[in-house]
Amino acid sequence: MNIPALAIRNLRRRKTRTLLTIAGVAIAVAILFALLSFSAGYEQQLTKEMDNLGFSLLAVPKGCPYEATTLILHGGVIPKYLTNDDLVRTRATPGVAVAAPMLLQQVNMDGMPHIVYGIDPDTMIPLKPAWKVNGRFFSANETRVMIIGSTLAKQEDLAPGSVLPFGPAQESYTVIGVLEPTAGEDDNFHFLPLADAQRVFGKEGLVTAIAVKATDVKEIPAIADELEKVPDIQVVTMAQVTGTIMNLVGSARTLLFSVIVIAIVISAAGIMNTLLMSVNERTREIGMMKAIGASGYQIAALLLAETVIITALGGLLGIAAARLGSGLIESFVRGIVPYAPSGSFVSFDPVLVGSCLVFSVALGLLCGLYPAVKSARLSPMEAIRGEWE
Amino acid sequence: MKIIEAAGLSKTYRRGSEEVCALRGVDLAIGQGEFVSLVGPSGAGKTALMNLLGCLDTPTAGTLTIDGVEVTGKKEADLVKIRRNHIGFVFQQFFLIPTLTVAENVGLPLIFAGKPYDNGKIGAILDRVGLSHRADHLPSELSGGEMQRVAIGRALVNDPRIILADEPTGNLDSVTAAGIYGLFEELHRQGLTLVIVTHNPDLAARAGRVIAIRDGCLEDACRK
Repeated sequence: MNIPALAIRNLRRRKTRTLLTIAGVAIAVAILFALLSFSAGYEQQLTKEMDNLGFSLLAVPKGCPYEATTLILHGGVIPKYLTNDDLVRTRATPGVAVAAPMLLQQVNMDGMPHIVYGIDPDTMIPLKPAWKVNGRFFSANETRVMIIGSTLAKQEDLAPGSVLPFGPAQESYTVIGVLEPTAGEDDNFHFLPLADAQRVFGKEGLVTAIAVKATDVKEIPAIADELEKVPDIQVVTMAQVTGTIMNLVGSARTLLFSVIVIAIVISAAGIMNTLLMSVNERTREIGMMKAIGASGYQIAALLLAETVIITALGGLLGIAAARLGSGLIESFVRGIVPYAPSGSFVSFDPVLVGSCLVFSVALGLLCGLYPAVKSARLSPMEAIRGEWE
Repeated sequence: MKIIEAAGLSKTYRRGSEEVCALRGVDLAIGQGEFVSLVGPSGAGKTALMNLLGCLDTPTAGTLTIDGVEVTGKKEADLVKIRRNHIGFVFQQFFLIPTLTVAENVGLPLIFAGKPYDNGKIGAILDRVGLSHRADHLPSELSGGEMQRVAIGRALVNDPRIILADEPTGNLDSVTAAGIYGLFEELHRQGLTLVIVTHNPDLAARAGRVIAIRDGCLEDACRK
């Protein structure tokens, strides 16, 4: 027997009350944990996805740059184009390591819109180190061949070697490669050699956007400034896109955090109320313990141990609940945030688990402090008489 | 050798704006190994005196020595040590912890005193109070008399030389109360000093000495 064991025995005295208090803490910690892990995971996934894009800025036709970029990233089609001259100028801009032109088009197959990327394999494929192909890549001057994303391949039941009628003229195209899953939007696209795509869709000499990789990250602002001088071109850096998305997510997060703060304050008030009540009921018992030799410190330690056991258990339970419910949380979040990266973004970082537990214990100590100090200071004689105030 | 010595012990409580004088200059000396009954009507100051003797409260005036330790002017932190090492308390309401077994209730003071939790010692104490067969029971499974025996066991576990009991049989029927007094007499024979507050004149008479208290002062101490 020791003081922590005594604390556990005391908690068993009012089982329902103890369980309810634990549940209150668990709910608060579950929400906190879910939100924090979402925040961390979302930013991680978004940055990863942006890194996987392989380029640091995108030159797009003048217009509404963010809308255009978001459309392009998701495979939307904008009815404005850049020209080969723009591509030449971009390539000539100092600091540009790679400039990969792309043409985006949409085709309807069986009533479903499909996105087609015309890409220049010599510049695009080096930008996508994550791309692994079953089959082979095409070269720049091949025609009537395509590479497709893994999701699309599964959906349409296509494999390397499949032949399908494609494009406005329903020419027959051969699938020469299927990309291994990238966990990104690329999984849904058709990829054609740029020149062939321009021919099929009648867009000779036109590109939708130019993806630019800088020789060095530090060069990005200078490249952006230089390219903006070209009348047709508007530049969007991926840092801006990430920043814009994170800003939108940030305001949702701020709102959720205020909800959490309220939940925690309510939970803390509940814990303190429970403790004060339980101490109040036991005033005479505390007096007895002092009479048989308990010091004020020991009484305070006993009460703090009781609270910390409650909040630590609540914390563990809350984290477990958040983990079990993470799928639910994720699908909910996907529904409300403006740009949900592919892949799971609820991360179970051990540091986060640790800090949520530390938070639970700290909450217990904080809530237990007042009742503990109050009991420790009780005069044994008054306590035995049942005088609490 | 006096184990309890008090001189001019006074205690004044403040109740709102009114001052209540519970004890007015009590002189008291109790010898090592004495069995003393403290009697008197309600409000006479019995409990106030017990609280002072038990170091649960500090006197407004006067001096007090317990088991050779000067109590007067000590702070709560020092009073705790005197209570732990020199005094065993028995209350009218038993004050057992309902979720602890009989043995654990008896061992409770060991935890607070920072002494090793010695099951052998607890077993010996349970033997002494006649509850060996109840060691693993919860207080709710015991009779009133058994509960008070547990409380007496708890008072004995730190090997005090003084047992203070405030109406220990107040909640018990007369047969059970007589049994508890039998236990007190046994402890007295083993050399402990006992001071027991009681309302029951028959039980009071079983002590070696009866001290009557009235209006905060001792009446003539009557020796058998």
